[in-house]
Amino acid sequence: MIRSIEFRAMNTTVMLAAEGELAIEGMHAAKSFIDECEQRFSRFLPASEVTELNRSAGQWLTVSDDLMEMLQLSVKYHRETHGIFDPSILPDLKRAGYDRSMDDIRANGGVSHSPVSTRPSRPAFHDMSLDLADKSVRLPYGLEIDLGGIAKGWIVEKAANLLHQYVDVCGVSAGGDILFIGQPSDGMDWDVYLEDPRNPMQMLAQLHIPSEAVATSSIMKRSWSHGERVQHHLIDPRTGEPAETQWLSVTVICPCIIEADVYAKVLLIGGSRETSKLIGASSNATFIAVDSRGNLVGSSNYKDYVYESATDVFVSTCITS
Amino acid sequence: MKLLKLGLRFWITVTSIISFLAGWILLAHAPKPNQSNSLASDAAAPLPTLEPLQPLSDFQPGDNTFQNQPTFGFQRRNQSRPFFSTGGS
Repeated sequence: MIRSIEFRAMNTTVMLAAEGELAIEGMHAAKSFIDECEQRFSRFLPASEVTELNRSAGQWLTVSDDLMEMLQLSVKYHRETHGIFDPSILPDLKRAGYDRSMDDIRANGGVSHSPVSTRPSRPAFHDMSLDLADKSVRLPYGLEIDLGGIAKGWIVEKAANLLHQYVDVCGVSAGGDILFIGQPSDGMDWDVYLEDPRNPMQMLAQLHIPSEAVATSSIMKRSWSHGERVQHHLIDPRTGEPAETQWLSVTVICPCIIEADVYAKVLLIGGSRETSKLIGASSNATFIAVDSRGNLVGSSNYKDYVYESATDVFVSTCITS
Repeated sequence: MKLLKLGLRFWITVTSIISFLAGWILLAHAPKPNQSNSLASDAAAPLPTLEPLQPLSDFQPGDNTFQNQPTFGFQRRNQSRPFFSTGGS
């Protein structure tokens, strides 16, 4: 029997599922790990490691192995995605009104009252220096980072691996970024329901996922009113503004949850014109996009994962060449 | 002829008065509306006991208690499995 627990962390709903004798013990260990990670990597907590790093801009700071690993991965994906994945868009996020946690903005009626301002010039992400031998980092003055684009995937991966030490079969989901390890004993793949970004209570399709990862990025979930505009959290680093996207959400399926997390955002920002270039860098990835009418479009093999879709949903393959 | 008319008027008057009095007596002794018939009372179903409603002040803005359960435009494959959904956070 698969057991599961659900709780709130990282401003989203986290679900752990496990099958095995030590499922409960494993899920408690994974939950403690996730709670601890939130304290360490949230940019909204004044005592977090990320906040300390941003405060120390201009000087070298010794960081933990975990933060160093996330920063190295960030550099890798920044290069791989030609700069579309960019953790240094934090000043632009704040300028767009995302200057406090999403739970706080929602408690304020979904309105941000931060002043509307123009985009100042700032250093680029590749100006960050990493000293691997000394485990230290130096951010140039004016550079602030937000690991929100990668930290959730990293935490899900580590939590799933921790849970896997207790059981052979498990799944960890943080706000729909999911990693499955092993196949349930009934022999069927894991079921994942694809939400309609226009109404998350309506499911567009049922996906069957083997021991792989799924992540979705949407412009509809973290949105708020700022000045006279409705903003969302996906900043296009080329403009410094919330991205004007072709699709409402993009889901990526691949073996690595960190890669799925990063590429879901990158493909949503990049759109179909960038898809072939971007997906080419991640050869194992399959993507499914949802357009404004709720129709599905995706890479050539995405229908292999769709067990069933709603009858009024039109599914088609994206021409990426 | 005149005598016949007089007799007819007398007969109509007397039967009208008797009918009126008979109706009065009948209604005066009929069961009143709030006096239920014992047979009907036995047959009536007992009223259900309802739980008190949660006061509206208990709900916060953005609370999803009022939201519907997830809806599917298709048949779920396995309802006993944990419900994993993906749609961004």
